[in-house]
Amino acid sequence: MAAMRARNKIRVPRRGLTNTRGDDFDSLWIALKKALNEINTKNASTLSFEELYRNAYRITLMQRANDLYENVKELEGKWLQDTVQKHITDTISTSLIRSQGPSELQDQSNERRADGERFLSAMKEKWEDHQVCMGMVTDVLMYMDRVISADKSKPGIYSVAMALFRDHILRAFARTDSDISIYNVLESTILFMIQLERNGHMIERPLVRQCIQMLEGLYDSVSEDENTKLYLVSFEPQFLKESTEFYQAEGRRLLEIGDASAFCRIASQRIAEERERCLYTLALSTESKVLQTLDEELILKNIDEVARLEGTGVRHMLDNNQLDGLLSLYKINARVDPKKTALVNVMNKRIIDLGKEINAAALTAAQGQALSGKKIEEEKKPEDGKKPEKSKEKQSSQQTLSAIKWVDDILAMKRQFDQIWEHAFMSDQGVQSAIMASFADFININPRSSEYLSLFFDENLRKGIKDKTDTEIDTLLDNGITMLRYIKDKDLFEAYYKKHLARRLLMKRSASMDAERQMISKMKLEVGNQFTQRIEHMFKDMTISEDLTASYKAHIAQSADPDQKRVELDVDILTSTMWPLESMSNTDPGDAQKPCLFPKEIDNLKESFERYYLGKHNGRKLTWLANMGTVDIRATFQRSNGKIQRYELNVSTYGMAILSLFNDLPDGESYTFEEIQGRTQIPSYDLIRNLQSLAVAPKTRILVKKPMSKDVKRTDRFFVNNEFSNPFVKVKIGVVSGGANKAENPTQRKETEGKINEERGSTIEAAIVRIMKQRKKSVHSQLIAEVLAQLASRFVPDVMMVKRRIESLIERDYLERIAEEPPTYGYVA
Amino acid sequence: MESTSEPGYVTLASGDGFEFILPRSAACVSGTIRRMLDPNSKFAEALTGYCVFDSFSGLVLEKVCEYLLYNEKHKSSKNVADMDIPSDICLELLIAADYLDV
Repeated sequence: MAAMRARNKIRVPRRGLTNTRGDDFDSLWIALKKALNEINTKNASTLSFEELYRNAYRITLMQRANDLYENVKELEGKWLQDTVQKHITDTISTSLIRSQGPSELQDQSNERRADGERFLSAMKEKWEDHQVCMGMVTDVLMYMDRVISADKSKPGIYSVAMALFRDHILRAFARTDSDISIYNVLESTILFMIQLERNGHMIERPLVRQCIQMLEGLYDSVSEDENTKLYLVSFEPQFLKESTEFYQAEGRRLLEIGDASAFCRIASQRIAEERERCLYTLALSTESKVLQTLDEELILKNIDEVARLEGTGVRHMLDNNQLDGLLSLYKINARVDPKKTALVNVMNKRIIDLGKEINAAALTAAQGQALSGKKIEEEKKPEDGKKPEKSKEKQSSQQTLSAIKWVDDILAMKRQFDQIWEHAFMSDQGVQSAIMASFADFININPRSSEYLSLFFDENLRKGIKDKTDTEIDTLLDNGITMLRYIKDKDLFEAYYKKHLARRLLMKRSASMDAERQMISKMKLEVGNQFTQRIEHMFKDMTISEDLTASYKAHIAQSADPDQKRVELDVDILTSTMWPLESMSNTDPGDAQKPCLFPKEIDNLKESFERYYLGKHNGRKLTWLANMGTVDIRATFQRSNGKIQRYELNVSTYGMAILSLFNDLPDGESYTFEEIQGRTQIPSYDLIRNLQSLAVAPKTRILVKKPMSKDVKRTDRFFVNNEFSNPFVKVKIGVVSGGANKAENPTQRKETEGKINEERGSTIEAAIVRIMKQRKKSVHSQLIAEVLAQLASRFVPDVMMVKRRIESLIERDYLERIAEEPPTYGYVA
Repeated sequence: MESTSEPGYVTLASGDGFEFILPRSAACVSGTIRRMLDPNSKFAEALTGYCVFDSFSGLVLEKVCEYLLYNEKHKSSKNVADMDIPSDICLELLIAADYLDV
């Protein structure tokens, strides 16, 4: 600076800026005052901004800024109070003041509306004028403002002017004789407008919007805090209160109409309306609040009732597949409740009801048949003994049918709900799990669900898939698997499935091995490795057996005398632990099974194979299951006219044993039942069944029984029926009730259940030991919980059962009690 | 009043009769001029686009205009070299700057 000064002399500014002319405060103020009034009356175009600015500038430089500030404030206040306020109160008609009260007559509303609009537009006009003028004033007084706001003791002139408007206009009384302020009138008028719009009238939205903006522009406090906007402080609460009342009434009204889809329609319409209103008429910030009010008052309080509405509610929609209705209900419900409880509750109830219907239908179908079967039995008994047996058969297959129908029905229902879920519930995860839970609930209500499902698979794998494409099979199996997912007692299902599978495999009834394998891999995916292990083993046995049979044949071809009349043998070697052998034979448990006595040729064959097999695998034991096998035999019948008729008969192994007895019998002779049994040692139950199919079934009557009746009694006698005839040379003689997989009768079911329980017992024990081995010691409740968790994928264990198992393990010194409180167990290594 | 025909430009006039025409955007760097020309307020300057500053000499106003353009030009860049201010009018410039709110 010093160097600079040395070079150039700094020009002293002319004092002209401040003291050219009229440099006393009063004259400057008078000039300004005149100009301000011009501005207020919108005559600014003649004024020079520079001149006014300079005046204000000078005053400020004279240190009189505060005086200027106060003077302006006073001037503007006076202006508002005297001129503007009067103008506005003139537009307030008596109808606007009168209708402050709640009473509101329809015929008044038009008048009130017109008055309201006039009032609002006056309000809006004055507000806009005020804003513009104050903007100009502020601009002119900018220099003053800078000085004033520098010491921060006072708000800027603009906000002061706004506050003046608030005090002198809004807070002024509408009438000298009443205590209602202009603001009150404004508020009630706006609310009235909104009310009109909600009732479907058109209103002047921009007008209302302007007034709302005014309220938004004004603050309750001097500090102009965002939260003290007049709109937020006064108007919005009032508006929300009004909305609450309105939607309460609306909810009542809609419930009285009692149409759920209408409710949803109107509710979504209201939501859209409120959104629009906030966008175009009120403030955006109100949207969430008013929508919340709407959600609470209109939806939350009524949704339960709406969903339950008789005749139009969720149930009705589900039954009639009204996807649109459900979708809107879903959306409405989703607004207030992320879990959609109301909807889900009703839907679950409906699913369970429908499911129970299906259960009941299946049960009555089965029972009805049983009843009618009994009736037939009673009726027919006197005349013919054959019929009851048949009807029993029919009943059993009827049960099978009803089981399959049950599964089909459930799958159909599941498909329907899946569709609804996808289209109406926007594939909502929560809803899906709710649907699944409901399905699982009612499926597990049916105690026979596992059996039914297995029967369903059986039926389809035997017959159903024969003329279907791969994809169809795939979906079919997938559907079945879906149901399997719902079933809690998966071990029960496994038992049934194994039993049915065993029959399919041994009797070669399966329509497609590929489908079987596909099924297994699907199950594996669904329930895990452990589940399918044994089933897979069954398949392995079958393959091994095939190889074995082939190699045995080769062995015989090499070693035996080729001339000898050989009997061909197909063997299936079954690993006894993997196959449900007990459930396949129908012996009474107490009846110790003696090996069946075969005819000599077969016995030779059997011994030869045993030698061969045991030679290959040391230390194994072969048990022959004659009740599972079939034999092709060639039979010759000596007709009475001397002709000889040949047939190739496919009979069960027992049947073969029986028939071969008659080979050695001279014509016309007979065996009694007991004789046959004595010679073959076939268990009574199997023998009866085989004799029935050989001597009673009309189409395959190879033997003749005396006396003729449906039942086989121990004293009956059997003859060869030389008159046996059949249009085909090859005749398949099925064993009564042996071939197909059917629904179990009560005793069988009891048996299965007993077995399952036994198996469950050991599974539980295994689980307990596994857990304890790992933990060494564990509190009782924790142990139980862990056992339940481990077994959940297979079945739902009974807690009592688990407790008993723990007791039994303690007794057997696997576990010990460590402490009593809380009860704790330790693992005994 | 040539500037009225060209809305993008405004005229600033000094007390001793010099006129400077510069882009409106540059002129509005000054808070005072911006308010003066605000089209919403209907002052004479806003209508005509012609502003008279009685109290400034042409010399000072020229420097002010130079600064306004200089400011506009370098608005978005950083590390701009200081403008050369002749020291003889620096006090007058200071007052003008205060007055014009720049």
